[in-house]
Amino acid sequence: MARLELKNIAKRYGAVEVLSEVDLDIADGEFLVLVGPSGCGKSTLLRMIAGLEPITAGDFLIDGVRMNDVPPRSRDIAMVFQSYALYPHMDVARNMGFSMEIRGEDRSTRADKVAAAAKTLGLSALTERLPRALSGGQRQRVAMGRAIVRDPRAFLFDEPLSNLDAALRVEMRLEIARLHQRLGATMIYVTHDQVEAMTLADRIVVLNGGKVQQVGTPLELYERPANRFVAQFIGSPTMNVFPVVSDGAALVLGDGARLAMPDCDGATALGVRPEHIDVAAAGDGLIDGTADVVERLGSDTNLYVNAGDLGMLTVRRAGNLPVRPGERIGLHLRPENLHLFDKAGLALARRA
Amino acid sequence: MTTTHAKVTSGETRAWRSAYWRWLVEPYFYVGPAVLTIVLVMLVPLTIGISYSFQSISLLKPFATSWVGFENYAALWSDAKFWRALMNTLRWTLGSLVFQFSLGLGLALLLNTTFPMKRLYQALVFLPWAVPTFLSALTWAWLFNPVIGPLPHWMAAVGLLSEPYNILGDPKLAMWGPIAANVWFGVPFFAITLMAALQSIPSELYEAAEIDGASAWQRFTKITLPFLAPMIAITVMLRTIWIANFADLIFVMTGGGPAASTEILSTYVFNTAFRKLDFGYASAIAVALLFMLLAYAVFLLWARRRFVKL
Ligand SMILES: Nc1ncnc2c1ncn2[C@@H]1O[C@H](COP(=O)(O)OP(=O)(O)O)[C@@H](O)[C@H]1O
Ligand SMILES: [Mg+2]
Repeated sequence: MARLELKNIAKRYGAVEVLSEVDLDIADGEFLVLVGPSGCGKSTLLRMIAGLEPITAGDFLIDGVRMNDVPPRSRDIAMVFQSYALYPHMDVARNMGFSMEIRGEDRSTRADKVAAAAKTLGLSALTERLPRALSGGQRQRVAMGRAIVRDPRAFLFDEPLSNLDAALRVEMRLEIARLHQRLGATMIYVTHDQVEAMTLADRIVVLNGGKVQQVGTPLELYERPANRFVAQFIGSPTMNVFPVVSDGAALVLGDGARLAMPDCDGATALGVRPEHIDVAAAGDGLIDGTADVVERLGSDTNLYVNAGDLGMLTVRRAGNLPVRPGERIGLHLRPENLHLFDKAGLALARRA
Repeated sequence: MTTTHAKVTSGETRAWRSAYWRWLVEPYFYVGPAVLTIVLVMLVPLTIGISYSFQSISLLKPFATSWVGFENYAALWSDAKFWRALMNTLRWTLGSLVFQFSLGLGLALLLNTTFPMKRLYQALVFLPWAVPTFLSALTWAWLFNPVIGPLPHWMAAVGLLSEPYNILGDPKLAMWGPIAANVWFGVPFFAITLMAALQSIPSELYEAAEIDGASAWQRFTKITLPFLAPMIAITVMLRTIWIANFADLIFVMTGGGPAASTEILSTYVFNTAFRKLDFGYASAIAVALLFMLLAYAVFLLWARRRFVKL
């Protein structure tokens, strides 16, 4: 169990800057999730923590000890790879016990620990199989088992579920949540799936273009995104953002509609989540639009509304909404759930 | 097939005939050309060669050709030169193979790292193959000649030889001459095949092993070697057979001498057939070599199946 500190970490490949100014303090036992679009440097950051990539600048500390130049095998960190990286020539038991084999622990200790881990992961019947004779989900479990038996100071996961089908992904997500509750270990989890991020994380780190955009609990990111990127990255369907003009006391929308709002100086864009828009009869709302596409999910209805000058808006309402495609409707924006952004895309602080 | 068969009644004989034609006869027309080629190119000469070994065929006595049963093999059994050539074959094959393999593997590991001008070095490794065997044999023979070659002087300088003399003329050491040439000639084969196998190992496995705590040596023995094993098994098998049959270097460098100290089975076959013109006896030696190599190959394939898990 350990506290991990990243101090002003940067990574460059030659002249290409992949990560910069990464400052994170990860508490002992915390479940930290790194999210961001593909290519934003999530894996690179994880690999630097594991010791597989040299750190170009900054300091990385485990429990206060600088680790920049410590080789991976001395960091006592376990990692689950996206492709699992199971040893194809070793059976499941040997794969899981490989770290103990390396440390020269005797056979019976090894067998006991492997058996215990196999049991918790439901792999007991498969310990003598080679990885190629396993399904994707089983391989994933073996990769987790290999990390668990080590009882390491921290666990790293690099998109561990992205190769699984949807049902299995949900199941393994719960498995990982349980694992974290049981072990109480520090875990860093990389994903581009925001559902995984929202459900698993104590805190989420949103990365974009090699820079940390925001660090916070899942609800903080959802309710108070620091900038437009985070606002639109977290939440599904994506937040609607459209340009507005502020006259100090009210926001003027593209179609001339006015929205009274104190302290809105400097706002150039307004963001509202699909679930924070109410539907009214045509002419009754702040905005009028035509329902272009109606998606009925059973539990929810998604409307894609053509709102003229404002462009397309997504609306999500619980239940089955009696709106037909092509119908004109009015929309209300809930004032308490609006987000304002300035020219640079930063969120304006709002009074509660 | 079986359903068709079960349903046969007098009215369905035509259907049965066409099925019979389709499944039992027609396929043989397709494989026919391939089988015929194999028979003509491989089996016929092999059979003729083996049949020679049961005959007395000597060009010196052209009219005394006759079937002699196992007489050639009986002679072989009590032929001291045959046993000596067999021992020399073992020394030649093993000596060449061990050095070719270990140097080839070392070179492959070096070439698999990153360094400047890597491609140039990889290309240079092929060079020994571009030189005709005959030429390399002559060159190596000259290298060992103290009058024109540097090797004896170097070996004397580092204390391997008491004085710079030609080891090709020393019955105790002569075999090392052709072996040295053969190692030079054979290292590229191992280096290139093993390098290809090395490149096919996913780098993530090394990373996973590193995180699991493995040292460089442990990563080599627990990941690299098991991954190379299938390639090692097949290349060692092929190489052994080639080396055991490979007489060119010895023939040019020592001609089997001095005092038959470098006579291996394949040079013995050549000398018996084309110097003594005794084709029957030469065939018997060749058949004996063939069966020993066959036994070796079967053993290696069995071991590969038994121990290699990939
Ligand atoms: N060895 C490398 N040399 C140069 N650029 C690299 C190298 N490895 C990764 N990158 C770049 O670093 C960026 C981040 O990669 P990565 O961490 O794999 O992204 P993510 O995991 O978030 O999808 C990418 O733009 C990628 O092109
Ligand atoms: Mg990645």
